[in-house]
Amino acid sequence: MDERRVVVTGLGAVTSLGNDLASTWEGLVAGRCGIGPITLFDASAFRTKLAAEIKELPSGFDPVLRRRLSRTDVIGLTAAAEALADAGLDLDREDPSRIGVVLGGGVSGLLDSENYFRDLVARGPRRARPTKVLNHPPDQTTDRIAERWGLLGPRSTITTACSSSGTSLGYAADLIRHGFCDVVVTGGADTFARLTHGGFNALRSVDPEPCRPFDLRRKGLSIGEAAGLLVFEDEGHARRRGARIRARFLGYGVTSDAHHMTQPEPTGEAGARTLSACLLASGLNPGDVDYVNAHGTATPQNDSAETAAIKRALGKRAREIPVSSIKSMLGHCLCSAGAIEAVATVCTIETGLVPPTIHWEEPDPECDLDIVPNVARESRVRVALSNSFAFGGNSTVVAFGAP
Amino acid sequence: MKAPVITGESAVTALGRTLAETRAALAAGRSAVGPVEDDGAPPAADRSPAARIGAFTTEPELPKSKARRLDRGSQYAVVAVKQALADALYTVAGREERTGILLGTGSAGAGPLTEFERQMAVESPDSASPFLFPNTVANAPASQAAIEVGIKGPNVTITQKDSSALNALFYARMLLADGRADALLVGAADEWNLVYHRAYERVHATRTERRPGFVLGEGAAVVLVEDETAARARGARIDARIAGLASRGAALSPQKRRAEPAVLAAAMRDALDQAGLAPSGIGLVHLSRNGSPFTDAAESAALADVFGAQLPRTVTVKDSLGENPTIGAIQVALAAAELRADPGTGAILINAFGAGGNVLAAVLTAP
Repeated sequence: MDERRVVVTGLGAVTSLGNDLASTWEGLVAGRCGIGPITLFDASAFRTKLAAEIKELPSGFDPVLRRRLSRTDVIGLTAAAEALADAGLDLDREDPSRIGVVLGGGVSGLLDSENYFRDLVARGPRRARPTKVLNHPPDQTTDRIAERWGLLGPRSTITTACSSSGTSLGYAADLIRHGFCDVVVTGGADTFARLTHGGFNALRSVDPEPCRPFDLRRKGLSIGEAAGLLVFEDEGHARRRGARIRARFLGYGVTSDAHHMTQPEPTGEAGARTLSACLLASGLNPGDVDYVNAHGTATPQNDSAETAAIKRALGKRAREIPVSSIKSMLGHCLCSAGAIEAVATVCTIETGLVPPTIHWEEPDPECDLDIVPNVARESRVRVALSNSFAFGGNSTVVAFGAP
Repeated sequence: MKAPVITGESAVTALGRTLAETRAALAAGRSAVGPVEDDGAPPAADRSPAARIGAFTTEPELPKSKARRLDRGSQYAVVAVKQALADALYTVAGREERTGILLGTGSAGAGPLTEFERQMAVESPDSASPFLFPNTVANAPASQAAIEVGIKGPNVTITQKDSSALNALFYARMLLADGRADALLVGAADEWNLVYHRAYERVHATRTERRPGFVLGEGAAVVLVEDETAARARGARIDARIAGLASRGAALSPQKRRAEPAVLAAAMRDALDQAGLAPSGIGLVHLSRNGSPFTDAAESAALADVFGAQLPRTVTVKDSLGENPTIGAIQVALAAAELRADPGTGAILINAFGAGGNVLAAVLTAP
């Protein structure tokens, strides 16, 4: 098999900082916080009443279609439209069976199906209204994107909680490398729901204030909503059509901690295995890495374990490079976290601007890497990694490089 | 792409807690489809049946004390994984980082999810049980199994409608080809859930006396898929070869259970081409047929297109086991067992034509 290389030709984003890539990236490098009071449901009974919600849902959909869509579908379709336009693909000239869709998903239409569950509890199964309950499965947005643009290639939805969309990038790249696709629309979309807020509250892992990754007094995460969509393309295909190549996807590592359903492996051994698997698959040495976009959830356990993992895997290089967490601004976007962080990682490589870790005040000796506190920094980044760690010990690290 | 091999298989189904029991029940023509009755059931004519696993014990594979922490989908997965490893005479210890797991699912986590939602709705939002939440994630079955048997290689869960299991197999083949592991446990796990069942009934998706439709089911099935060189190096028994596997999409609304015959036919031809087989080389077809009028008609048309008048023997397990994302994995496990029992069966084609246009076809051959 000829070596087929994967490049990024399109990006799209919908986040709490803005409904497109430009406003999101501008907010990230300005160190703006998207976390604010919860508006989507009554959160008064929870200890934590904050989340990084999308401020105003994108509009412009056909009203008949719009009534069928979940919140996740709306932001996923919006970011996919931006990414496809950014890639400049003329779909009339492409073979649709060579274009795939691989997303990470999880919450999907849960906010709507929660209304059904509540109706069920209150009024019984015969009278509960099952409005939009078919939007519940996490693969809905994947199918919606394929339907909207008539994409007939292989399709998949990765559902490994907080590493879902990180892993989806790997599956997407493999489809291109192995010759099944020329183009794959990949990334993910995920929105807020009572379940995720209530769940992390029950585990006491949500911070009552905006989250502060790597800070000594960090108390947990803030949940966010986002869609991050990327157009991956075979390099030869992209060059033949004269596309702008924004970055290369160099490779990824996907491993299992085999440790605990909710706790990270504390010594960093497991995380380091994922990082090393990514370096190996990408043909990189630790010294090649210029930036790590951290998982950085701001839970006490994650940030110290992740710091240890980066030090184990990158050795002395870990202390020479910036390692920041944009979750301090966008919150933890759960099943779309890996995707929106990949989008930000590509922008970092393009612009040489490293987004900061905001809300940082007090150093933690167990989180002693250069976390780019509070203010963005100029730094030449040719190769960057992005970490995603999940419930179940599902860990994924992806690598991007300059074109 | 190099064709990986299957060296062990298992199934936990509504017809038996092992693959052997399931095969025997199917051979005897038994069906697990039965009524679902409770206080909230709709009038008889609007009621859908299901193929449920009744009382289930995880023993001997997993002690009850450990099983208590797991949701039902995870219990099925752990039992199926341990059975498949035993069948393949494969020990994870010493090969942790070279062993991975990929499961498909649809409703995994439904039990803990609906109970957590109930507690938030009727008790206080802030006092729902923290023990439920970790098992609400779709990857709980694969990850609980990975933790239980010590898997440190790739660990992925896929949700892609009824074809989730073959979708997992499609990714697994690429991971093996890239040398990311030597052996991958591939399959699916899913749990039946009353709340989901009533919701499907209300939106008229499932079968009733009055209308055609599919029947919900549950269970887990797993095959051990290995790189052939690695399998031979450890002296493994080889049951089947995954000679062809195609994945295609039709651009359909995800809520419509329709399919386009041309896409189904293209997937079958692609899988046959990869296997280097003419249609006449197929001895048995595991149908996707599930009772949904649109997909069933499309599958018949696609089969006629590919096979003409020479249609091979076909088998429909969904009549007995219902429809859910584990079925594809059960069909792969059954096919591997069929080839192991009788290598003269000829190649076996497995169709998975999921809702929303998620189309896969696999060809398994004797080693």
